[in-house]
Amino acid sequence: MMPVSPQEAAEMLRQAPGPLVIVGGGTQLRPGFAANAELVTTLKLNRMVEYAPSDQVVCAEAGMTLATLQAELSRNGQRLAIDPPQPEKATLGGIIAANSFGPLRTRYGSVRDLIIGISVVLSDGTPAKGGGKVVKTVAGFDLPKLMCGSYGTLALITTATFRVHPVQERSITLLARKADPVELVKRVRALQLEPAAMLSVDRDVHFRFEGFAAGVAAQREKLRELEEAPWPAPLDAPVRLKVAALPAQLPQVEKALAPLQARLEWLPMVGIGFAHTQAEAASIAAARRELLALGGSLVVEKAPFALAPLDVFGPPPPSLPLQKALKDRLDPRGVLAPGRFTGGT
Amino acid sequence: MIPVDRFRAVVGDASCIHAPEQLHVYESDGLASYRVTPGIVLLPATTEEVAACVKIAREAGMPIVARGSGTGLSGGALPVQGCALIGLSRMRKVLQIDLENAFMRVQPGVINLDVSKALAPHGWYYAPDPSSQSVCSIGGNVAENSGGAHCLKYGFTVNHVLGVRMVLSDGSVVDVGGPVADQPGYDLTGIIVGSEGLLGIVTEVVLRILRKPEATRTFFATFPSTTEAGNAVSAIIASGIVPAAIEMMDRLAIEAAKAATGVDWPDVGAALLMDVDGIAAECEFTSSNAVELSRQAGALEVRVPRDAAERELMWKGRKSAFAAVGRIARNYMVQDGVIPRGAIARVLAEIADLSAKHGLRVANVFHAGDGNLHPLILFDGRVEGEEKKAEELGGEILRICLRHGGSITGEHGVGADKAIFMPEMFTQQDLETMQRVRCAFDPAQALNPGKVFPSPRLCGDKPGVYRPHPAELSGEAHRT
Repeated sequence: MMPVSPQEAAEMLRQAPGPLVIVGGGTQLRPGFAANAELVTTLKLNRMVEYAPSDQVVCAEAGMTLATLQAELSRNGQRLAIDPPQPEKATLGGIIAANSFGPLRTRYGSVRDLIIGISVVLSDGTPAKGGGKVVKTVAGFDLPKLMCGSYGTLALITTATFRVHPVQERSITLLARKADPVELVKRVRALQLEPAAMLSVDRDVHFRFEGFAAGVAAQREKLRELEEAPWPAPLDAPVRLKVAALPAQLPQVEKALAPLQARLEWLPMVGIGFAHTQAEAASIAAARRELLALGGSLVVEKAPFALAPLDVFGPPPPSLPLQKALKDRLDPRGVLAPGRFTGGT
Repeated sequence: MIPVDRFRAVVGDASCIHAPEQLHVYESDGLASYRVTPGIVLLPATTEEVAACVKIAREAGMPIVARGSGTGLSGGALPVQGCALIGLSRMRKVLQIDLENAFMRVQPGVINLDVSKALAPHGWYYAPDPSSQSVCSIGGNVAENSGGAHCLKYGFTVNHVLGVRMVLSDGSVVDVGGPVADQPGYDLTGIIVGSEGLLGIVTEVVLRILRKPEATRTFFATFPSTTEAGNAVSAIIASGIVPAAIEMMDRLAIEAAKAATGVDWPDVGAALLMDVDGIAAECEFTSSNAVELSRQAGALEVRVPRDAAERELMWKGRKSAFAAVGRIARNYMVQDGVIPRGAIARVLAEIADLSAKHGLRVANVFHAGDGNLHPLILFDGRVEGEEKKAEELGGEILRICLRHGGSITGEHGVGADKAIFMPEMFTQQDLETMQRVRCAFDPAQALNPGKVFPSPRLCGDKPGVYRPHPAELSGEAHRT
C-alpha cells in the first residue's frame, strides 16, 4: 500500500484486515520485522507542509527523506540538527519511529529532542495530532515523544514538525588517535569545551567543533596537540548492534563486545553507539547478557535473516505492562506490526 | 468516609492533615482564584508511603491529586472535591550525583534551584530555570514540563529528565527510563513529563546535568516600543545566534519591575534582556554582534552588567516581574500563550486593542526567543465584574495565539484553568487519542480528574451515544 495523502492512509488503515508493517526508507526494517505482514510505504507522503525560516520551524510529511528536507533547509542557512545514517534513504517518519541518530546527538540530542509536533493515523483510521507548530507548547500529552522509537507499532506518522537550527559558520574535526574516550570526556568538561559531536571509532576519537569562527578557533587552540582530520565514514558490516551503557562503562562495554570482534562507533558523552560485526546469534546473546548486567542494553538494528531466531530487543523493561496497555489502547486490533516490539508488544 | 486512621498509620500523625482549618492551606495552588478544599492532605516521606496512600485512597473511592510546592499557575494542583491531596514536599533528598555520567537522582520535593546549588561547587548545573525556581519543586516541573528563560537554547524539563520512578493509580511502582540512554521500549518518560499529574505520581527523578559554560554575557537594551525590540530579536536570531535567553518586557512590566526590585531602569516602551553563554571567545563575538544588531534596530540604550551582582539584579528584575505587577495593580492574572516568533509585533498590537476595548491594562513579559507570551492582566477585584472581564480578556488572548498558529500554554500547563480551551486547539479525535494514553496508565481516571481534558469521559467510552461504562455500573468510577 502506498497512500498519497494522510486521508488515504487513514482509509487504508481502517480497512486493513491483517497485520501491517509501516515502511519509510527501509533502513531500519530489521528490528522485529513481521514476515507475513502487508507493507504500507510512506514514500508518497513526501510533501513539505510548512516552512517558516524566521520561526525556525518546519513541518513535512513523514515520507520525505532527511536529505530532501536538509536540502530545502540549507537554502535558508538552516538544518535539522540530526545526522542518522543513510540520509538519502531514511525518511523523517522512519527516523522518528526508530529514534535513529548520529554523532550530532552529542550536542543536540536525538530527534525526540527536536520534534515539536506530529500528526498520526491510528489503526482504526482516527487522525490525531499532538504538540504544535511553535517551539514551545505544553498543551496536552506529548504524543510526538511517544512516537519516537515506537517502531510503527502505535500509529502511522503522517507529518512531523521540527525545530531547526542555523547552519554554523565554521566547523572543524579534530582527531585523537588511540585515545581513552572516558578520559577525553573529562578533559572536555574540565576545559569547558562544547563539541557538537564527539565520536569514538575503535578509540580513534573525533571531535567536531562548530560555531562562529572565534569560538571554534578558541576550542581548537585548547586541544592544539590534536590533528585536524576528515570526519570518519560510517562503518558497515552484516550485523549492526545498538549498544548503550553509562558513558564511564565504556571499558566494560568493550570487554562485553570483544568476542564479537566488533568495530565500535561510540558517542562518549552520551553512552551509546553501534557495534558492527559478523558474529553469530549465540555470541550476540552472550554480549547482551554482559551489557544487561551493567544496566545497559543491546538492540539488533541490522542482521541477515539467517540470524532470524535472534531476540532483537532483549528482555523487556520493567514498565512492560504499561507498554502493552499503551499498545492495546492505541492499536486495539493489534494490526500495526504485532509482536514487533520489545516483550512481544 | 475518609479512612483517616489508615492514612495516619502510613504517614504518621503530623503528616496526615484533616482538620478543616489546616486543609484551607492546601485549597489552591499558584492560581489562587480557584479554591477547593481537599478531603485530606497527606505528606508521605517515601515511595512506599506514596504507594500505600494511593491504595488506601482508591479503596475508599477518593480521587487523588498530587502537589509539589503549589506554585503552578494553571491550577494543576488544585484539589478536587473530597480528594486525597498527596503533597511531595517532604521528599526532598538528593539521592545521587554522578558527574562522570552526567546525571543526578533526586526526590520530587527537591526545589529546582537547590539542584543547581548542590552542583555549583563542582561547576555543574541543571538547565531548566522557571522564574519560580527558588520555590518550585522538581516533581512539579516534571508534571508541567516547566520551561524558563533559558530553555530557548537548552530545552525544557522533558529534555533534561532521563527517567522517573512512579506510583501508578493502582498503587504499583514502576521505573521508567534511567541514566542509560535509550532503554528499549516506548519513550514513557517523554509522555510522563508534562502529563500534569494524570498518569502517575513521580517519586524519584533522574536528571541530566550540565557542566557550566565557560562564559555568560548579558546585556540589557531599551527601545522606544515593542516593535523595535521585536525587530531586534528577529535580527539576532536571523544572524545565526542562538541566545541562551532573550526576554522582552513592555512599558508597564518595566514600571512594575522597577517598583518591586529597585532596578535602575529607564521608563521606556520596551526592554530586552539577553544572555549568551558558551565558549568565552564565541560569547564575546555573539554578544557584541547582538548589541550592534539591537542598535541598528533602534535601541535607545544598551547596558552591560559590570559584575555578577549587577547581572543577578537584572535577572531578578525579570524573574520577579509577575509578582512585581502586584505593586502597580490591586489584582492581576497571568496568561501564558505561544505564537510564532515572527508574529510578535502583530499579536502585541492585537492585545493592545483588546486591552483598550476591555478597559484593562495589560503588562507584557515574555520569552521573545520562542514566542512565549506572558500577558499580565491588571484589574481591581473590588470592582464588580472586573475579574470576569479580565478572564474574558485572557481567553481572547489565547484565541489570538491560536489564530496565529500558536498554543494555549507554553510552560504553565493546562491544568484546571485551560481545559475548556483544549477543544479550540485540538480536535475531538486528538483529545480522544490523548485520552487513550491516559487510560493506559489510569483506567479509572482517579488521578487529577477534571484537569487537562475538557469533558469527562470514562476509559472504554465510545464518543457519541452515552453508554454506561462497566466500571460505572460496578460503582468503581463515577461520572462527574
